[in-house]
Amino acid sequence: MMDILQQLLAGFAIALQPINLFWALVGCLLGTAIGVLPGIGPALTIALLLPVTAQVAPESAFIMFAGILYGALYGGSTTSILLNMPGESGSVMTAIEGNRMARNGRGAAALATSAIGSFVAGTLGTLALTFLAPTIAELAFIFGPEDYFALMILSFTSVAVVMGTSRVRGFTALFFGLALGTIGIDTQTGQSRMTFGTLELLDGISFTVVLVSLFAVGETLYVASRQTRAAGVVYPLKGGAWMTREDWKRSWKPWLRGALIGFPIGSLPAGGTEIPTFLSYTVERRLSEKPEEFGNGAIEGVAGPEAANNAAAAGILVPLLTLGLPSTATAAVLLAAFQNYGLQPGPLLFATNPGLLWGLIASLFVGNVILLILNLPLVGMWVRLLLIPRPYIYGGIVIFALVGVWGLSTSWMDLLLMCGIGLIGYVARVYDFPIAPALIGLILGPQAEIQLRRALAVSQGDWSVLVGTPIAATLLAIAVLVIFLPFLVARFRGAMQESKA
Amino acid sequence: MLKKSFLTGVIALAFSAGLAAAEPAKVLIPANPGGGWDGAGRETMAAFNKSGVFTDGVSFTNKGGAAGTIGLAEFVRTAEGDDNALLVTGVIMVGGVISNKTPVSLDNTTPLARMTNEYNAIAVPADSPIKTPQDFLAALKADPGALSVGGGSAGGVDHVLLALLAKQAGAPVDKINFVSFSGGEILASLGGGKIKAAISGASEFRDFAKSGRIRLIAVTGPTRVEGLDVPTLKESGIPIEIGNWRGFVGAPGMSEAGRKTWLDRFEKLHASDVWKEALKAHGWEDAYLAGDEFKAFIKAEESNWTTALKDVGILK
Amino acid sequence: MSSLDQRKAARPWWLGVAVFAMGALWLYGAAGIASTTNYIGLGPAAMVQVAGGGLAILGILLVIQALRGETFAAQEEEGADAAAPPSRSAFLLALAGVAMPLLTMKMLGFPITAMLAFTLVTHAFGSRRTLLDLAIGALIGTFSWYGFELLGIELGPFIPLLR
Repeated sequence: MMDILQQLLAGFAIALQPINLFWALVGCLLGTAIGVLPGIGPALTIALLLPVTAQVAPESAFIMFAGILYGALYGGSTTSILLNMPGESGSVMTAIEGNRMARNGRGAAALATSAIGSFVAGTLGTLALTFLAPTIAELAFIFGPEDYFALMILSFTSVAVVMGTSRVRGFTALFFGLALGTIGIDTQTGQSRMTFGTLELLDGISFTVVLVSLFAVGETLYVASRQTRAAGVVYPLKGGAWMTREDWKRSWKPWLRGALIGFPIGSLPAGGTEIPTFLSYTVERRLSEKPEEFGNGAIEGVAGPEAANNAAAAGILVPLLTLGLPSTATAAVLLAAFQNYGLQPGPLLFATNPGLLWGLIASLFVGNVILLILNLPLVGMWVRLLLIPRPYIYGGIVIFALVGVWGLSTSWMDLLLMCGIGLIGYVARVYDFPIAPALIGLILGPQAEIQLRRALAVSQGDWSVLVGTPIAATLLAIAVLVIFLPFLVARFRGAMQESKA
Repeated sequence: MLKKSFLTGVIALAFSAGLAAAEPAKVLIPANPGGGWDGAGRETMAAFNKSGVFTDGVSFTNKGGAAGTIGLAEFVRTAEGDDNALLVTGVIMVGGVISNKTPVSLDNTTPLARMTNEYNAIAVPADSPIKTPQDFLAALKADPGALSVGGGSAGGVDHVLLALLAKQAGAPVDKINFVSFSGGEILASLGGGKIKAAISGASEFRDFAKSGRIRLIAVTGPTRVEGLDVPTLKESGIPIEIGNWRGFVGAPGMSEAGRKTWLDRFEKLHASDVWKEALKAHGWEDAYLAGDEFKAFIKAEESNWTTALKDVGILK
Repeated sequence: MSSLDQRKAARPWWLGVAVFAMGALWLYGAAGIASTTNYIGLGPAAMVQVAGGGLAILGILLVIQALRGETFAAQEEEGADAAAPPSRSAFLLALAGVAMPLLTMKMLGFPITAMLAFTLVTHAFGSRRTLLDLAIGALIGTFSWYGFELLGIELGPFIPLLR
C-alpha cells in the first residue's frame, strides 16, 4: 500500500512536469473535439497519431493518449445532451434524459452533472485501477462465454425501461435493431447473411451510420417538417444555468452507483462501455423516487450512465496494463503504441518501467481534473451555442453527420443507408416509436449471439451450460427479477389495497 | 502592384515546380484506418521516404470492407494504367476474393512485391496435457469436437490452419470445433481454460505467454521466431507452413517501365537498414519476394486457399 | 389539419405492413443461409429467423392496433409543433439536403457536397440568404476536409472531377 502510494507520487512528479501537462491539455482538447464528431472515436485518433508521436518521449505520448481517451467521453455527452446526437455508442443513454432536460431549459444542469459525474467516476475508476488492478484483472479469466451471455441478457432488460408509451412499438424498434445487426458475414461460420449480394454489406452496417441516421438525420427531417415558424430563443434557460441543491442531492448516488457498475464491467475483456450505461440507466430508473420524471428529463438518468461510461473507460485499462490484453479497439491501439516504443504492457512493465506506468496512471488523475476545469466553464458557452439560429444548427448537424458517415470508409453505400435509415428515424418520430431500443438491439444482439454460440460450441451443443456457472445463473436470475418484480410489486400493492378496502 | 505581381510569380513558380518534381505515389489501403493493412501500408511508405529510396510523396486512400475485396475492386476500376498507383494486399484478400466470389481478383493487378509475413502460433492453457504438436494432432484425431480451438474469423488464416492440421491428423475436417474470436478476448478465454487451444499471430501470443498462463506449442513459419523457444511445425514432422503475408501490387495495365521502376525501388528498400529496423519494430518477418516469383506465389496461394476453404465448408 | 388528415396520420396501417414485409424479407433471407451448425446447435440462420419472425408478428400487431384506432401521436420535440400542419416543402428540402451527397459526393467531392447539403437544410428551416448559406457551407466543408487531411484521413479528393 505504502509502496503504491510512493510510486504514485513519483508518477505525479512525472505527470506534473510542464511539458507533460501541456501534452495532457492537448490530448484533452483533441479528445473533446473528436468526441463531438460521430464516428471519429479515440481509437481512430490515437491510431492516426501513432507515427506523429515517434518524436515524443513515451511518457508524454501516453499522457496525451490518456487525455484523448477521457476527453472523447466528455465531448460525446455534450452533443447527446444539447443536440440529441450522441457522438459515440456510450452516450446513447445520456441522450434520452439529457436532451429532455435541455429542452426543458435545464441543459446547463445536465451538462454539469455529466461533467462532474464523469470526473467523480473517472477518478474513482482510476483509484480502483491504481489499487485493485491485479485483483480485478483476474475477472478476465473467470468470465466465460455463458457468463457474458447472461450479462447481455441482463442488459436487454434495459429495453423495458426505454420502451416509451407502447410495448408493441418499443419491441418493433428493438427487433428492427436486432434485424440490422444480423446483416453481414457471420463470424462463427463465415456465411454471409442478408447482404443481398452486395460486397458493401458484408461487414455489416456500421454502428455509426445507424447512430447518425436515426438521431441526427431523423431529427433534422422531423424538426424541419414540423417547425413553428415563430422565431424565438431555442432553448430557454430556466431555473438558472447551474445545478440546484436538489440536483446535487439527486446526482451523487447515481454517480457512485454508475462508477460501481462501470468499472468492473469495463475491465472485462468483452465488457465494453455500452453495457454499463444500459445497466446504470435501468438501475437509476428502478431506484428513482420520481420514476414519473424519467422520459421527461430526470437528472439521475444523465448522472448514472455518464459516470458508468467514464468508470468503464478506466476499467478497460486494467486488462491492458496488468495483462497486456486489449479488450476494445482503443486498448488495441494503445497496445500498438506501447509496442512502438518497444514496451510490452503486463506484469513485467510494472517492474521494468515503473516511471512510465505510474506517470500514465497519475496523468489519468490529472487529465480528469483538466477536463473538469475545461468543461465546467464551457457549460455556459456550449449552452449558448444553441442560440445560433436554428437553420444553421441543423445545417451544421447535417455536415457533421456527413463527416461521420463519409469519413468512415468513403462508401457510397453508407450515404445511401444514411438517407434510408434517416427516413426511418423520421417516421419513428412521426408515429412515436422510441429510438433507443433499436440501438440497444443493434449493439447487444450480435454480441449476445456470438457469446451464446461460443458457449454452445465449447459445450458441444449442451444448452445447460448457460446456467452452468454461478455467475451466469446469478445474472440470469437478476434479469428475471428486474423484468418481473415491478409486476409482482404492483400486484401485491393492488392486493393490499383491496384487502384494506 | 509590383509586390502583387512578385507574389503571383512566386506562387506560380512554386506551383509549377511542385508539378514537375513530384510524381507522388497513390496508395490504396483496402482497410479502414488503424488495422494491420493500414499499418503495413503507411509504415512501408514511411520507410521509403526515410531511407531516401522514394521521396516524391504519397497520398493514402482507405477503402475498407469485405476482406479487402472492396478496395481491390475500386483499385482495378479506377487505377488502370496508372504507374504510380499501389494497392496494399495480403493473404486475407486472397481468401476474401475466393469466399466472396468477387468478379475481380489479384490476377487483374500487377504483382510487385511481398514484403512481410506474420506467422501463426498454436497455444494451449498452461496446465493442458497437450505439450507437443503431435499431442495436438492426436487430440484432434481422438475427438475433434472436444478440442475447441479459438482463432480469428471463420475462413481466415487461423481457421484454414486448423483445417490443414485436421487433414494431417486424419481427422474429419468438417468435425473440427473452431470458435471465432476478435481482439484480446481470445487470450483471456485461453488463459482461463474456457477453450482447449487457440491459434493466432505469434506476436499476439508471445508476450502474454511470458505471464505463464498459456504455453506455445508450435509456430507456423519456415524457421523459429526470434526470441521464442518454440518449434516450427516442420521441425515436428508436420509439413505445414502458413502465415499472414502482406505486400504491394500495381495497377492493371501498368507499363513495363513503371513496373521496373517500382521493382527496383522495393529491392532497394528491402536492402536498406531503415527497413530492417521497421521489421523489428513491428514484429514482422522479412518475406521479400518480388516480380514474377511473387506472381507465381499468388497463383499458388489462390489454389491452396480454394481447396482449404472448400474443406472447412465456407466455399460450397 | 382537417379531421380526415388527422385520422389518416393516426392510423398508419401501412407502417405495420412495412414492418411485416421487413420481417418476411428476413425470414426469406434466413431460408437461403446454409446451415452449418456443427457443434453449435444454432446455425447462422437462427438469429435472422428470430429477428424476422419478431418483426413479422409485430407488424401484424401494428396493423391490428391501427385498425382498432389506437393513436400514434407524433413526438413532441423542441421547436417542433406536433399539432402544426407538417410542411411538405420544408421536409422535401431537408430530405434533398440529406440525399444530395448520393449524387454529388463522388463527382464534386466533400466540400462542395457539404456546401450544397448545408444550404438545402438551412432553406428547409426557413433561411432565404442563399449566398451567405452557400459561403458558410463551403467554409465548414472545406475546413472539415482540411482538418481530416491533417489527421491523415482523406475524405475523398477535394474536387474529384478536377483530379
